[in-house]
Amino acid sequence: MTAKLSSLERSERRLGIALLAPAFALLAGVVLYPIYNLIRMSFSENKLTEPWLAKPWIGFENYAKAMGDERLWEATWHTLLYVIVTVPGAVALGLGLALLANQPFRVKWPVRLGLLLPWALPLVFAGLIFRWFFEYQQGLVNNALIWIGLSPVNWLTQEGPAFFAICVAIIWKTSSFAALVLLAGLQTIPKSLYEAAEVDGASKWQQFWEITLPMLKPAIIVALIFRTITAIQTFDIPKAMTDGGPGNATETLAMYIHKTTIDSLDFGYGSTLAVLMFIASAILTSIYLRHTRRDPSAGRH
Amino acid sequence: MRERRVAAVTIRKVRKVFGKVEVIHGVDLTFQDGEFVVLVGPSGCGKSTLLRMIAGLESVTDGEIDIGGVVVNDFAPRDRDIAMVFQDYALYPHKSVYDNMGFGLKMRGASPSEIAERVKEAADVLQIGHLLDRRPGQLSGGQRQRVAMGRAIVRRPRVFLFDEPLSNLDAQLRAEVRIEIKKLHQRFGTTIVYVTHDQVEAMTLADRIAVLRGGVLEQFATPDDIYNKPASKFVAGFMGSPPMSFARLTASADGKTLAMPSGTVLPARGGLVMGGLSGGKSYDAGFRPEHVKLGADALPGGVNTTARVEILEPLGAETLALLTVGGAVLTGRFPPQAGVKSGDEVTVSLGAADMHLFDTETGRALVA
Repeated sequence: MTAKLSSLERSERRLGIALLAPAFALLAGVVLYPIYNLIRMSFSENKLTEPWLAKPWIGFENYAKAMGDERLWEATWHTLLYVIVTVPGAVALGLGLALLANQPFRVKWPVRLGLLLPWALPLVFAGLIFRWFFEYQQGLVNNALIWIGLSPVNWLTQEGPAFFAICVAIIWKTSSFAALVLLAGLQTIPKSLYEAAEVDGASKWQQFWEITLPMLKPAIIVALIFRTITAIQTFDIPKAMTDGGPGNATETLAMYIHKTTIDSLDFGYGSTLAVLMFIASAILTSIYLRHTRRDPSAGRH
Repeated sequence: MRERRVAAVTIRKVRKVFGKVEVIHGVDLTFQDGEFVVLVGPSGCGKSTLLRMIAGLESVTDGEIDIGGVVVNDFAPRDRDIAMVFQDYALYPHKSVYDNMGFGLKMRGASPSEIAERVKEAADVLQIGHLLDRRPGQLSGGQRQRVAMGRAIVRRPRVFLFDEPLSNLDAQLRAEVRIEIKKLHQRFGTTIVYVTHDQVEAMTLADRIAVLRGGVLEQFATPDDIYNKPASKFVAGFMGSPPMSFARLTASADGKTLAMPSGTVLPARGGLVMGGLSGGKSYDAGFRPEHVKLGADALPGGVNTTARVEILEPLGAETLALLTVGGAVLTGRFPPQAGVKSGDEVTVSLGAADMHLFDTETGRALVA
């Protein structure tokens, strides 16, 4: 039951709809339609390399193929590994950076700049920088190893070291975003809580454990969610550093989709993979969101 | 009965400098065992800074702070055996009331059974036993205030520090909690240092009041002396509700009388006559509102003069009247139904015997 609207309210409502319409139209054009198209395509055969086959509707054939596609499962496993390693890694390093940046520095801008720079840098740049770092012949890392008396490592052409190098690059690149989110969270913690804890006899470590961490929990969860969403889509850094190599050892889901769709021009199967990735990412995110909703301390009073 | 744990607090020539700004200019104060001392003064007078220095939350630039005979300048807050109630209560929002109150004991390694016993005891005293499972966010302002006090009581410190604990409460609650705090002091007998800018709180709670202004101690005395023998014009004008009002008077050539700008002559009281006043010099004369009464000869020893009523503030039991008297603006306490309107010319009795005189330059009181 809605109450009868006055003419003023009705005209207000019409104006509201009119003002929102362009944004909705834009969203429909660039988000909804492509998603619809993607889903439709995932049920069809659509290979640009074989245009004479036209684009027949093949039902769940692509999905069936995906279930048995070993390379997809490998890429999923790699992506999951990146998520498991780089999400907590970036948030932990980000927390350290945020705590550092929250110290009362006399000159604040170098700290803030140091925080923002990795975040502002394009992902591919970061990938290239770290590719040079881990390069066998002239790389900084190997030079450092030689300097301290160790033998150089073939970082980017061995499975384990390549994964390690990519994780280092991703954590470096993404920790600054986590740090920004956490720094904002830190700054909302009233200083008097620390003073009360100080009077109560808590050491610095206890203050961190008993006040900072629990008070920062909502911000940490936000940072984890955002980091997880981007980690599932990991593409640029491994693309620039190893291009998924050696073999497919560091290939992520997004890279496999890219290779299927763009390199092999198999739009149908590529779309299927993209839909599957979308579903996986939606499930992961909803788990986080459910968790935040259930915890009363995460909400604002 | 448990041992009574109290300590005297001595502040010796304490200075505090923030950057280039000196906010406390060498303050000396001694608080006795179990004394309730209120530090009062306007914003920026350094009262909170002084309290925070006693707590150890601010370093001492110069001078000494002594708690129970030990100079604690280099002691961390946790080692000073003090507890503090903060203005915003500083309750840990993610912890239950129970955990908030037990936190200090937990940090000091008390056993869970000891924590339980002492939290329960404090909760009983403050009547917050039913709130122990709640979080601070689920409590009202007054309840939070009690929890903050409970957290301090549980620790059984030698000195309680209160930093404007009532300023976030509404007027009615403030009066209630004020009584509560006084009861607590009577019950525990712990030394209390209490900071406020509210002179009513200072008057009602304190054994002794330290009035601060601009980082300098103006007066340290009992509420009675602060009210009846203010050491300076500032103290006289700050303490009392409504505050003392002032008129600029000129001493006669023989120094025995004082004249208002309008010509009304007031006798100089008591000892001031004996050469205390310099002939022809101006003085600030202060009158408490109760010493400006409606009607001729309303005060024993009063001087009658005419006054113009500017503004009336009825309070129920009495009416405050803002008056122009002989070129000065004075406040008077009038009876509630005096039949006076603003704009009226009335006769008032000025309590010359209770008049306070202050040096116009230094603001110090002339002691009669």
